[in-house]
Amino acid sequence: MFATSTQRSFWMFKDENDVSNARLSANIKYISSRGRNMTVEEQELHFLNVTEEKILIMSYEYQLRDFCRKFLPPMPRYVIGTALHYLKRFYVNNSVMDYPPKEILVTCVYLACKVEEFNVSMDQFVGNLKGDREKAASIILNNELLLMQQLDYQLTVHNPFRPLEGLMIDMKTRFPTFSDPERLRSGIDEFLEQVFYTDAILIYSPSQISLAAIIHSASTSKENVDEYITKILFSEDQKRLLNLIEAVKKIRVMVRNVQTPHRDVIKALEKKLQLCCNPDNNSESPAFKKRMKQSFDDEESFEDGQYPSANSDQVRSMLMGMSEMGKI
Amino acid sequence: MDGNDQTCPKCKTTKYRNPAMILMVNACGHALCESCVELLFAKGSGACPECKCALRRQNFRIQLFEDPAVDKEVDIRKRILKEFNKRQEDFSTLREYNDYLEEVENIIFNLVFDVDSTNTNKMIDNYKKENKDITMKNRNRQSQEEIELEELLEAEKAQQSEKANSYVNAELEEKKQKHKAREKLIDELMFSDADAKSIVASHVQATAALAKEQPKAAAQAGGPVVKSSKFSSGIQIGLRQNTSSFLPIPKQQDLPLFHYSAPVFDYNGPSPPAIEVLGKLKYFANIRAANATERAGGYTEALSCCRALQEAMGGLFYIPQSGHKTAVAASAEETDDMETA
Repeated sequence: MFATSTQRSFWMFKDENDVSNARLSANIKYISSRGRNMTVEEQELHFLNVTEEKILIMSYEYQLRDFCRKFLPPMPRYVIGTALHYLKRFYVNNSVMDYPPKEILVTCVYLACKVEEFNVSMDQFVGNLKGDREKAASIILNNELLLMQQLDYQLTVHNPFRPLEGLMIDMKTRFPTFSDPERLRSGIDEFLEQVFYTDAILIYSPSQISLAAIIHSASTSKENVDEYITKILFSEDQKRLLNLIEAVKKIRVMVRNVQTPHRDVIKALEKKLQLCCNPDNNSESPAFKKRMKQSFDDEESFEDGQYPSANSDQVRSMLMGMSEMGKI
Repeated sequence: MDGNDQTCPKCKTTKYRNPAMILMVNACGHALCESCVELLFAKGSGACPECKCALRRQNFRIQLFEDPAVDKEVDIRKRILKEFNKRQEDFSTLREYNDYLEEVENIIFNLVFDVDSTNTNKMIDNYKKENKDITMKNRNRQSQEEIELEELLEAEKAQQSEKANSYVNAELEEKKQKHKAREKLIDELMFSDADAKSIVASHVQATAALAKEQPKAAAQAGGPVVKSSKFSSGIQIGLRQNTSSFLPIPKQQDLPLFHYSAPVFDYNGPSPPAIEVLGKLKYFANIRAANATERAGGYTEALSCCRALQEAMGGLFYIPQSGHKTAVAASAEETDDMETA
């Protein structure tokens, strides 16, 4: 239940400002730790700022969705929802520059598959990736614990999909004057897809989001479900109705304001990211390779140098391949 | 015979003349007959007529030994050993323990024969002060041992009486059976048409068979009773044994009985219909019914319907508020430190 979940207790924000404040502090923390001996101007030039980071994260959210869409076996949408939640949560507290988003992205999907009981083996999973699969597998397994740690091991995610089904059943049963709510499905699904690109899922409860989807879909198809909400759902709580109307309005505004980032902008930002990313966490950087090599040498069970000396171009091509997918 | 020439030193009454006479002894070791004690110590306290030392009437005891001096010695020994109750475990070497025993004997000797009494008493007082703890501890231990011993004796007694009972019962049973057999024989002889000789022969056989069975029956009758307190090897069953070697099993506390109270869910939204009434409210008309395979596993459409409704209603009243972001940030900082370190 959402009301008693960790999602509600630890991963909800007051409003969009609250979310961006969290991102800002993560951004500032990274810049102050990496760019200690730079002037403010240099820092601004060298590092990504919060808005740039946000645009980048969004582009990765699109990439994640496209990756999941093409995933074989076909992935249920609640797995995608959970993976998007993980990605959002991860980069609320961490800078994009600190941890390479491409790696975190696939790890989010992998973890979501496990948590949502969508059973795929690692071989099956990396079969959906291009490039060096063995290396991809080791990247995912390396990052999995980091991801869980950053999520504070609070892995249960409440998606708006089940509440939506509940509301549909309830409408069919208690609001028979509205004929065939299934007509609204396509509009609802579109809305729920868009809502995952916003911060609404970090601010409003899943049931509120699904209700907003129904209302939005109804209003675009010139239908009216207000009666269901005022007379049936909130018949005893007229006071709270105002709060809900406010929430629905804000969710719809947020969804309306979703802008798909432009491809050229993304490209420029990617280039900038490559320069300012944290070499300690970047699997393509020499510092990271050195570190990994050391840890692998310690563990003799691994084939010497397999991971650290792997062709970095392969990974790049793999991950670039994924970003290409996003642009198509 | 020997006891008959006991004499009360005060009134010169002898056991021979008054067989009811009882001699009493006090701390000083001089005897007095009971009537003299009552006479002299009517006030409760007074002086010994022989040695003039102050005595209390309460402390008079019946003389057990012929020589009152022995009684005195026994009394003193008892008193001293109450204080000087160290054991061999309390000493590091056997030598020390033996020295200690010798010292105790010396003290007792001194007290009995009134040698150097002031110094001896001082020694006793010193010892008392110094060894208070050990004395108390050993006293407790002793009393515990005594209790165990008593219990053991009691158990033995109970066992014996049980055994005796079982024998008596077995005997009664035997008598009854014999009586029955005889009556049966007489009946048969009276009313049966068969040959009297053969009847007598079969009766003899039957009694022989019975006699064979009886010891078995008696053993059976006695067996279970004995078993209840002892194994065949003589090891005791039950708590008595446990108290001497193991800690007693802790008793379970009498907790109040569990009362079920239905969980109260905070939906933070309109309350969804209960799972029991979903059918009545015609919710199932709009969902896919569970098929036979699903039902076999205990699944019904009510479960998923109820869950969907709960999640749909839950959180509708939610008002956005800040989560524990600071806590998350703090923990993130820690992990960062760990990684750079």
